[in-house]
Amino acid sequence: MASVRQIAANRRNARKSTGPRSGAGKNRSSRNAYRHGLRSSITSTAGFAKQLDNLVREIAGDTKDAILLERARAIAQAELELARVRRVKVALIERASAFGELDPPQAFSSVTQIIRLLNAIDRGRVPSFPEPVDSSATMPSQEPDRSAEAIRRVLPELRKLDRYERRAAAQRDRAVLFYNF
Amino acid sequence: MPRINELTLLPKLPLLITESADEFDALRDAFEREIKPRGIIEQMYVHDISSIVWEILRLRRCKVVLINSAFRSALQSLLTQVLRQPGQYGCDVEDQAQALAHAWFTDQEAKKQVSEILAGFDLDESAIEAEAIRRSFSDLELLDRMLTSLESRRNKALGCVAEYRASLAQQLRDSADRIIDGKGVLRLEDAASNRPTAA
Repeated sequence: MASVRQIAANRRNARKSTGPRSGAGKNRSSRNAYRHGLRSSITSTAGFAKQLDNLVREIAGDTKDAILLERARAIAQAELELARVRRVKVALIERASAFGELDPPQAFSSVTQIIRLLNAIDRGRVPSFPEPVDSSATMPSQEPDRSAEAIRRVLPELRKLDRYERRAAAQRDRAVLFYNF
Repeated sequence: MPRINELTLLPKLPLLITESADEFDALRDAFEREIKPRGIIEQMYVHDISSIVWEILRLRRCKVVLINSAFRSALQSLLTQVLRQPGQYGCDVEDQAQALAHAWFTDQEAKKQVSEILAGFDLDESAIEAEAIRRSFSDLELLDRMLTSLESRRNKALGCVAEYRASLAQQLRDSADRIIDGKGVLRLEDAASNRPTAA
């Protein structure tokens, strides 16, 4: 834990910072809070706006009642969110099935490996670069083993997406419940 | 028969390239026959229930495959354990176990031999399955959590259809009562009194 002096020094140093200056830096920091984009509104993607409007119209019919239209919009929005999460799930499984993993293979698995390599160069040795592991080569070639292995490899991601899916479903259910009142 | 809402309004369920769209349609048809959805909201729920059940089936298949694919290493580990003499740590046992585990899948004689070895310790093929499950515990646990979550959502969606129907029926009953009681309905005499009269 930082001492009182360290905290004070950190604060003094932080006051000297004026934030990112370059365009690239500002662009990067503007996305600091961005994690996965799943909570962003579905209407933010222009392609969905028309689909959303059509679905709202189908649910609400020809009504001009603004409250009813708003409730129908909430149902449609949640329904499209659900569809989006399902698409993401399938896309992740397909990607893992094709490449064996979601992230591209790294030449170095840790900072320690990089430090060792730099030390070897300092000592005038010719370092040997580790061969990146080809994850797709470790995938079973036959179905259904390949799909099952792909699902196994993205299970943590699927579990996280499951939470979003549940939340979207709960929002849709609440909106439907209110729709008839 | 093409489902107009399904194709144009409700988003289509994305399937893995190894999955059959016809099989999914058959599953959804079965739910449609059972639930007989009326209106877009009920269709939405039927689509949701079909999608959830499809995913449950996908994960269940995955579970079986994961256990099956752990069989070989499980058998090898089990054989290494039972073939090893007390105090022995040789590689020979591991080689023998590896060869037997490999042959177990293709050679009936090897299968018989493995059964005899296991029987010597009062074990049978269920011991291999148990070891395979033990080796896949972390994945199976995650899969089970997801299956539980999906099953609870499926049951909730089924309940929501019933709830929606009940509330819609109640709303229709209330509307009918209002019409019968004459509340909010323009009466003939009222309409006549509002009509402009000629001077």
